This record gives sequence, C-alpha cells and structure tokens, in this order.
Amino acid sequence: MPKHDTPLLDELEKGPWPSFVTDLKRQAEKKPECFDILGQLELSYKDKITHWKHGGIVGVFGYGGGIVGRYSDVPDRFPGVAHFHTVRLNQPSSMFYNSAKLRDICNLWEKYGSGMTNMHGSTGDLVLLGTTTPNLEPLFYDLTHDLNQDLGGSGSNLRTPSCCLGRARCEWGCFDTQDLCHTLTMHYQDEIHRPAFPYKFKFKFSGCPNDCVAAIARSDFAVIGTWRDDIRIDQAAVKGYISGEFAANAGAHSGKDWGKFDIKAEVLDLCPTGCMWMEGDTLKIDNSECTRCMHCLNVMPRALRPGLQQGATICVGAKAPILDGAQFATMTVPFVEVKKNEDGEFAEIVEVIEKIWDWWMEVGKNRERVGETIQRIGLPTFLKVMEITPAPQHIKEPRSNPYVFWQEDEVEGGWERDVVEFRKRNAQ
Amino acid sequence: MALSREDLKAKILEKALTGPKAQLYVKDFYACDPESGPRDIKNAANDLVKEGKMTFWSSGSTTMYAAQGRAKDEENR
Amino acid sequence: MGYDPANPMADRITDIGPPHYEQFFPPVVKKNYGKWLYHEILQPGVLMHKGESGDECYTVRVGAARLISIEHIREVCDIADKHCDGYMRWTTRNNIEFMVDNKAKVQPLLDDLKSRGNKFPVGGTGASVSNCVHTQGWVHCHTPATDASGVVKAVMDELFDYFTSHKLPAQVRVALACCLNMCGAVHASDIAILGVHRKPPMIDHDAITGLCELPLAISACPLGAVKPATAKNSKGEDVKSVKVNADRCMFCGNCYTMCPAMPLADPDGDGIAILVGGKVSNSRSMPMFSKLVIPFLPNTPPRWPETVAAVKNILETYAKDARKYERVGEWAARIGWEKFFEKTGIPFTIKSIDDYRLAYDTWRTTTQFKFTSHIK
Repeated sequence: MPKHDTPLLDELEKGPWPSFVTDLKRQAEKKPECFDILGQLELSYKDKITHWKHGGIVGVFGYGGGIVGRYSDVPDRFPGVAHFHTVRLNQPSSMFYNSAKLRDICNLWEKYGSGMTNMHGSTGDLVLLGTTTPNLEPLFYDLTHDLNQDLGGSGSNLRTPSCCLGRARCEWGCFDTQDLCHTLTMHYQDEIHRPAFPYKFKFKFSGCPNDCVAAIARSDFAVIGTWRDDIRIDQAAVKGYISGEFAANAGAHSGKDWGKFDIKAEVLDLCPTGCMWMEGDTLKIDNSECTRCMHCLNVMPRALRPGLQQGATICVGAKAPILDGAQFATMTVPFVEVKKNEDGEFAEIVEVIEKIWDWWMEVGKNRERVGETIQRIGLPTFLKVMEITPAPQHIKEPRSNPYVFWQEDEVEGGWERDVVEFRKRNAQ
Repeated sequence: MALSREDLKAKILEKALTGPKAQLYVKDFYACDPESGPRDIKNAANDLVKEGKMTFWSSGSTTMYAAQGRAKDEENR
Repeated sequence: MGYDPANPMADRITDIGPPHYEQFFPPVVKKNYGKWLYHEILQPGVLMHKGESGDECYTVRVGAARLISIEHIREVCDIADKHCDGYMRWTTRNNIEFMVDNKAKVQPLLDDLKSRGNKFPVGGTGASVSNCVHTQGWVHCHTPATDASGVVKAVMDELFDYFTSHKLPAQVRVALACCLNMCGAVHASDIAILGVHRKPPMIDHDAITGLCELPLAISACPLGAVKPATAKNSKGEDVKSVKVNADRCMFCGNCYTMCPAMPLADPDGDGIAILVGGKVSNSRSMPMFSKLVIPFLPNTPPRWPETVAAVKNILETYAKDARKYERVGEWAARIGWEKFFEKTGIPFTIKSIDDYRLAYDTWRTTTQFKFTSHIK
C-alpha cells in the first residue's frame, strides 16, 4: 500500500501534545495499512465527513459481542482498510499490566491487525482497531489459547465491567473494587458475550464517592463505596495542615498562590451539611449529619480517613442523553456490605443485579436502558419490584403533585360501589 | 407448561425463518412461548446461534437475531 | 497446534474472561493493598502514596493519545522494564502511570521520559486539565459529526500548560464525544465538546429495502418523525420505504444507526456544540449535567480554531473568576448562568433554552436573577 499525501493531518504533528498522526506514520513503516488509515482520514478532513460504514453480522462464532464490524466506503482507494473491524479485549480490572502481557497483545495485533489500538475505549476495554473478517477466528483462537484472554461486550449485552483502582493504590477504597469487578465479570461471562437484554447494560465500581470511573453518570448498575460510622480523625495531622506543614488537597493547588491554608474557609464552610467545627485547635465532626461527600477528606488526606464500617451504595440507571435525556443513577440500595460468601461469590450484590434484570428483561422496551424503564414506569414500582423499603433517602424531596396511584386494597371498602344506592342519596 | 428447550428452539427458528421480519429482537421471540421466561427464550435463541442456525446482527449498540443468511448486512450484499 | 480453518470449532475455548488483575500489581502495590494511608502530589504528574507499612509508591502520570500504536505501547513497555520492573497501568482518562517504590528512582524516570520528545508529557494531576477523553470520530466511527483525535490534539496543544501545572481553581475535566449518541458520555464533564448533526437524514430509496428493516428504522425515532411510505427508486419503480418529517427531527441519528440507508452526516450541517458545568464526583455538590452554552461551531479541520478558542475562553474565564476548589459547574451556579454568559462573552441564544423532555426543570421559576447586559 502506497503512502498518501496528508497535508492536513501533517498539521497535527505540530504542538506539545503527543501526536496520533506521528504515531500512525511510525506504525505504518511496519504495517502499511496504516498509510490507508491516514489516507482515508485525510480524505475525511478534506470532505468533512466520515468514510466508515456499519458492520452487522461479523463476530467470532457463538459470540454476540466483542467485535464491532466496520467497512470503508472508499475501499478501492484505501484497500488496506476495506474491512476495519474493532476487537474489544476485556481489560484486567483497573488496567494494571506488565510488559510481558502487553508485548504478547502487541505481537498478536501485529500478526492479525492494523497495529492501532485504543488504550482504552470509553467503557474500559482494550480496543484493537482494524482487522478483516477472515482474521477474526484465528485471532480469537490465539487470544484464548496463547494469551489466556477473552473478548469484552458490545451490543445488547452486559458490557465489560470496569472499576477504579481502589485499594490497589488509594486510601479511600471502601470496598475491594477489583475483586468485585473481576468476580462479577467471571460470573457473567455468558451475559457479556451473548445478548440477553433489551439494550446495553453497564456495571461500574468506584471505591468512594469521588467516583473516578464515573459510575453514577455512566453505568446502569453503579456500586460506589461509602461508610456508615465516623470519619477517622488524626488531630495532629489537622494541626499540620493548619500550620502549613502539609499542603492542602495533597498539593493539588501548588501552581498558584491561594494564600495560607484556612481551615474555616476551605473545609468547614465548604462542607455541604455544615457538620464540622473547631473547638480550639481540635476538629469536631457531627457524623450523624455527614453525607460523605469526600470534600474534607480530599482536602486533608493525612488527617481524615473514611470510617471503618465500610461498604457501598448501589445506584441504578445512569445513561448518556440518547434518547430521553441524560440520567444519573438513582440511589437504590443505601448501604450494602460488599462481602464474598463461602463460595467466593458476592451473593448479596448478585441478588440485586438479577432482580433488576428479571424485571427489565420482562418490561423493558427494545433499546430502552433500565434508567428509562424506571423513569417510564416509576421509581415506586421499581422499589416494590426490588423489595426495597422506601425511605426519604430515595428522593431529593417529596412529590409536589397529589396524583398517587392508589391500589384498591389500600382504600377502605374497595372500589366496588353501587351507583343506584348512590343516586338514592344524591340525586342527579 | 413451558415448552421444552428443543420445542422452544423450533418455534423460535420457525419465526426467524418464515416471519415477515428478517431481523428480530430477543423480545420478539417472547411470544413464541408465553410460559417460558425471558431468560429461557434468550438462552434458546443463543443456542440456535451456537448451532449455526441463526446469526447475530449488531449495530454496535444493539444486537438482533436473524436466521442464517437472512440478516441485512454488508457481508450478505 | 494453531487455528485450523478446516475445523474451526476444534479445541474451542470460550468465556474465560480477562486475566486476573493481581498478577499485574507491582510488588509495592501488592504488599500494601488496602493499607494505604494518604497521598501527596509532589509536583504536577508525580504522586506519592504512603502505606501503613511506611512503604512509598511513587507514580509518574503521563498523557497519551487514546489512539496509539503497538510501537508506542512497546516503547511504554521498554520504559516500564527499565524503571518499574515491567509494571505500568492506564487511567480511565487514557493517561499512563509508571510506578516506582523509591524516591531515588523518580528523577531518572522523569529524565528518560523527557528525552523522548513530546511523546510522554508528565502532568494531569491536581488542579489541572487532565487528559481529554474522547470517542473514535472520523478515524473509525460510522456516525460521527466531527473528528475526535484531531480536535482533542488541537485542544490539548492549546491547553498544554494547564496539563503540566496546578494553577486552576480545581480539576477541569474536558471530554469529547463525536455524536449525540455520546458513547463517550460527556454529559457530566466540566467542558464537553460534542459533535452535532443539523440536517435530517436523506433516504436512499435504491438501497433501503435491501439494507434495512423498515419497522426498525421507524421505531428508532424518538419523536415519531419517521413514517412508512411508498417511494420511487432511481429506476422509477415503486419501493417500500420511509419518509421523514423534517420539522420533528432532532438530528440524533438513531434512525441511521438502525438503517444505513438514512445517512445524515454532512460537511456543512455537522459541527460542534459546547456544554459546560458537569461533574461526576459527589464532592461538596451533587453530580451535575453539562449544559449547552454554544449550540454550534463549524467543523474546521485540521485544527478546529473556533472550538479551541471557545474551550480556552471558558477555561480561562473560569480560572480567573472561580474560588479555590470550585468546579466549573459550581462556579457557574454560584455566579448565576446569566453572569456566566456575561463574563465569558458567549452570546446567549434561544438554543440554550430546553424544549425537549423534562425541559421545565431548567426554566427559571423565581423572581431572583441578576441584571446583566442581557436585560435591555
């Protein structure tokens, strides 16, 4: 495949940020189909329109996920990218790697694909970008036999679960995000690889309410770490922040002179519940008022730590705007201990998941995310289905309209009445 | 009484082969046996794919089923 | 034995899942798992995590394109082999993290990274603009309204100084999604760059019967704008097709996703919208959606100067005006959106007033407002 002139893309080799164009050119020396990626992209830059077409039935045999088909609409000019399917590899939980594993993946992709990747896709998969239909089965064979790895999800499947790095390298992980993510990923291999649902379904696991994997914004099933006892305070470290010995917010503001650290202005007054105060040089917290927003912990990580009674809050139904508008996940299970049983399963979490699925598979419409189903049918019904006791924590405020869907058995005497008797007392 | 797995598969395949729609959502098969749960229906449909009698069609975001050869796709044009 | 095309199902292995994460932990991570005490950012891009054991884990965070080659990954592996016993990780924002267990190992690692040109910029921590997450764009997607990698490259070049420093009031998350489907989920970003279509789909009456299930195309429309119709193909024959009520089209492209014979992308119709003020974290305020402040900017490859300027203007107006810790959305909520438009100089248009579902939630139902230049 010949090299194409790319005067427009060449402009993106300038500037301080790493250039994907330079990188593509480097790769093209070994994988000439990258010249056709550059050529077709240059054409898009000229035409201001994409030159890719839908895939459809491509995949590895028996799997309904993990491969997304893609074809060029100018294959005669760029034969190297005539087929350009995506392969999604299920990433290891929280995306730690060693070089031996990554080199194996690189070698596999040098053999069967374009050499281009996404590290990582939006859902979390390690994405291999660009191969042909005939290469899919051999690639899958080598992937499973030699690399001991598997594909992720796509389509109406459980999508590849993802998690924050949690306890691996963070002091705020209130449950073992990697363990939960990996265990459920293994538990639900069938749902990841074969369609099961009205539409996509995503799991995301964040170890604390800072929510570094955006579980509350992006996942149908968000497990977010929290605690229910008292924030642990190291009063000596509090004094260290006040005296300036320790940099506030772990040094996150070091590039600008914001003045001396002021615990009142920067911590107490920014607490959304106002549950903190100073008595002399001792920090006090009324933990019963705390909503665990993380601000004070973020600002003084040496002084404040999550409580010891740790677990998670489960929120359900987040999604991007398509179709009914964006939704954040709705707080559904206020607190759950994230614990494995003797069989090595997170049985309590699994039970919640499967209650949601059983209901959504039954009543969800085609291409309707579970958050939209809940929106359409109502949170009260969803809570009943989930057998969860309704609590004020489920709402920001009570409803302001009086249109309650009363059930007949809730009303004294039921709904059956005799209009003839009624007319005897109340004339027309 | 819910249909046996084999009978359910036969009904699903018949719908995929002869129905007016070439591509179907898993929910379209629910009517094949009102007694079978959504999970049984999806497992039966996925079995038919494993046996090579049906195929998946995916937009990337949504997956559908079609009898082998009936899916509308680049590779079948 | 490798793959045998004559016998494709022989020795088939399925459903084995991803490799277990623990084998990829550097020893200091494995040893201190769940026992971390606190962290410090020593300088932009360099973190230190302290374990209860007294161990320290030093992390150097570098930016990367999301679209990277295996040659680049091999170079990352070389660096990890040389400095980090072969271990590394990626963040959810496409940054690469190199970890070492001793402060003395940090500077040689930084020097090595610096010696490799602009491939490994160190930063993305604290009150910075971290890496801009994005979608595929014209490099690989079939429904985009703009490119992704190129726009992000141009934006990050311009904001580079904010990636490598800590001078903002808080972290600023910039994200790009190349169409309204938002597979990049930019709906909760401080600054979101969003590809938008503005022309209703065309209908390819020659191809539609062979390419599409008509009922799917019809039901894909959230506003019922796609209806069945008989149309004439280019040979003059009557074919079963669809028609689109253009007045009801919201340009989402859902019909095209389900029916390739309804393309809507267009060089002049497509472009970029800017949304601001979203956040994911629960810190201080609740998570917030990004809000549309610039309805359209043209696609101007290769460097999208209008989009770059718009993002930079919002960022720098915020940087100048916001209080310490305040995210973009918290700042805009405090000063009021009328002030946001005034301070940024972004013209307010009727397109920022919601008329889709749940729209009423965003209308002002109080006499409280500020008199800005918008009130004549």
